[in-house]
Amino acid sequence: MSEAFEIVAFGISAFIAIAGALGMATTMSMFRSGIFLMSSFIGVAGLFILLTADLIGLLQIMMYIGGFLVMILFMVMVMHDPGGAMMAGMDMAFVERWFSKGLVPREPPHSGHSDMHADHGQEQRAHDRQSHAMPQSNAGDHRGHSVHHDEHADDDDQSMQDMDDSGHEGHAAHHGNDKSGMDMGGMDMSMVTPVRPAAAWLAGAIGVVLVSMLLLRPTWRVVNAMPDPDSARRIGQLLMEKYMIAFEGAGFLILIGIFGAVLLARPTIYPDDASRRARVAVDKKPEPIAAEGLVPLAVPDKQAGQHEPHQSEEHGA
Amino acid sequence: MIATALAILAALGVGAALTWVLERLFWQPGSEPGPAHIAEIGRNLDIVNSDRWLLPAGPVVALAGVALAMVVVPFGPGLIGRDLRIGVFYVIVVIDFVVLGLALAGWGTDTPDAVEACYRIIAQLVAYVVPLGLAYVGVIMMARSLSTVAIVEAQNGLWFVVLQPIGFVLYLVTGLMQSYRAPFLEPFAVSIGGGVLGACGGWSALLWRIALAGVLFLVAAIGAVLYLGGPNGPVLPGWVWMIIKTYGLMALMLGLGRTVRPLSTASMLALSWKILIPLGLLNVLLVGGFILLGIGPSRP
Repeated sequence: MSEAFEIVAFGISAFIAIAGALGMATTMSMFRSGIFLMSSFIGVAGLFILLTADLIGLLQIMMYIGGFLVMILFMVMVMHDPGGAMMAGMDMAFVERWFSKGLVPREPPHSGHSDMHADHGQEQRAHDRQSHAMPQSNAGDHRGHSVHHDEHADDDDQSMQDMDDSGHEGHAAHHGNDKSGMDMGGMDMSMVTPVRPAAAWLAGAIGVVLVSMLLLRPTWRVVNAMPDPDSARRIGQLLMEKYMIAFEGAGFLILIGIFGAVLLARPTIYPDDASRRARVAVDKKPEPIAAEGLVPLAVPDKQAGQHEPHQSEEHGA
Repeated sequence: MIATALAILAALGVGAALTWVLERLFWQPGSEPGPAHIAEIGRNLDIVNSDRWLLPAGPVVALAGVALAMVVVPFGPGLIGRDLRIGVFYVIVVIDFVVLGLALAGWGTDTPDAVEACYRIIAQLVAYVVPLGLAYVGVIMMARSLSTVAIVEAQNGLWFVVLQPIGFVLYLVTGLMQSYRAPFLEPFAVSIGGGVLGACGGWSALLWRIALAGVLFLVAAIGAVLYLGGPNGPVLPGWVWMIIKTYGLMALMLGLGRTVRPLSTASMLALSWKILIPLGLLNVLLVGGFILLGIGPSRP
C-alpha cells in the first residue's frame, strides 16, 4: 500500500471517528445518536486496520453493528422521544443542532393549543420572520419554529395564564436552560436540563486535557519490527492458553447475566408482580399488526396460558 | 487495485442478475418469490416525513457491505479479489452492513410499516447471527484457517458437507435467514406492505434489488466455499465449478425454503435459540471429536 493511500485512509477513518462522536453528542434524535456512535467506532476500527490489527478492527465492527442495533431497539422501546421529533424544534446554537438537520419536529402529546405561551416577543419576532420566509416548507428544523410560533401568535390573548400547567413543552424547549424541575408533561427533557452548559464545559475541559496529554507526551519508541500478519492465530492462542481463565471467566459471567435476565423476564418469577403489572404490558395479548398474513408456528394460546396462573395468584393474594 | 474492484463489482452484478433469474424460476402464484419483487423501480415515492440522510444511506450502506464481502470469494485459482487471512470472519462482519442499511432505511422512512420492518430486521439479526457463526466454526476448525483459499484447499480430498452434515443443514437454514428468503420473509411481509422495500423507488429500489440478490448470491457462494469445495472439480475450469455449485446450492436453499410455512420473527427466534444453537454446539463437538480421531484433512 502506498503512503498516500494510507494517509487518505487515515484521514477518512479519523474524520468518521471524530464526526461520529460529535454527532452523537449533538443530535436530538436518539436513533441518529446511536448510529453516529456506531459510525465513530467503525472509524476507530478503520484505524485499527491501518495499524495491521485487522482482527481487532473487524471484531469491533461486528460487535458495534450488532450490539448497537439491538441497543437502539431497546432505546426506542424505552425512551419517550427516540426520533427526536419533540426536541427538533428547540432553539439551540448552530453547532448543537447541526446533526439534527432533517428531523421533522412535531408537537409533543397532551399539549393543548391554549396552553402555549408567547411571552418572549423578541424571540418570537425572530422566528416569525423565518416562518414567513418559508411557510409550511419542508426546510428541516425551521419547520418546527414556524409551527410553534404560528400557534403562539394565535394564543397571544390568553398568554400569561396557566403558568404551571403541563403545557410548557414548546416553551421550555425554547428556553431550556432556565426552566427545570417543573412538570414537563411527560416529555423527555433530558436535553434541556440546567446542567447542560456545565456538562458541555466539563466535556470541553476533558477534551483539552486529553489533547494536551497527546501533545505533551514523551516521545514514543518506534520499533522497526513488523507486526505478526497472522494476528488471528496469535490472539486465539493467547486467549486459549495464557489468558484462558480470564477469557472463560468473562464468558461464564456473561452467561450468568443472561440467565439472570431471562429469570427476571419470566412473568411469574418476577420479584414483585404488582409493580411489574403496573409497568409492563407484555402479558396482554399484543394488538395484531394490520391483518397479519403470517401464521406463527408457536401456539398463540401460550400467552393466555401464562396469563392464567398469574391472575389466580392475584386473586389468592 | 482499481481493476480488481471493477472486476468484483462486475461479478456482483452478474451474480445478482443470475440470482434474480433463478428466483423467478421458483415463483409460484400465491407465494412470495423473494423480497425484491416489492421494490418497484418504476415507482416514484415522495415520503412525507422521511429522514433525508438515513433513508438514502440505507441502500448505499447495504450494497457497500455486499460488494466488500465479494472481495474474498474465490472463483477459481487466482480469481479472488484478495485472499485475506481472516477472510471468512471478514465475510461474517461485512454482511452485517446489509442489516445496518435495512435498519437505517426502515427508521428513516418513518412510516409505521417501515419502522416495524426495522425492528423485525434487527430481531432477525439476533436470531441468525449465533447459529451462523457456529455453522462457520466447524469448517474453520477442520481447515485450521480463516482464509477462504485455505478452506478450499483443505477440501481437496473430501468436501466438508460429507464430514459435517449437521453444519451444512445449519448453514442452509441460517443462510436463508441471512438472505431474507422464503420461510424467513417476515421483515418484508406483505402484511406490512413490504416494509422497507415498500417505500423505495427509482435508484434506491435498484440498489435494494442488487443488494438483496447479492446477499443471496454471496451466501450461496460462501456456502459452496465452506461445504462444497469451492472451485475444486475435475475437467471443467474452476470458475465454472464455482458457478455450478453456487447456483445449485442457491436452488437447493430456495426450493427447500418454499416447502416450509413462513415463520414469524418470534418463532424465528425460538427456532434459533431452541434448535439451531444446540445443533451448532453439537456440530462443533462432533467436529472436535473427528479432529481428535484424525478424520478430516491431513495436517501440514
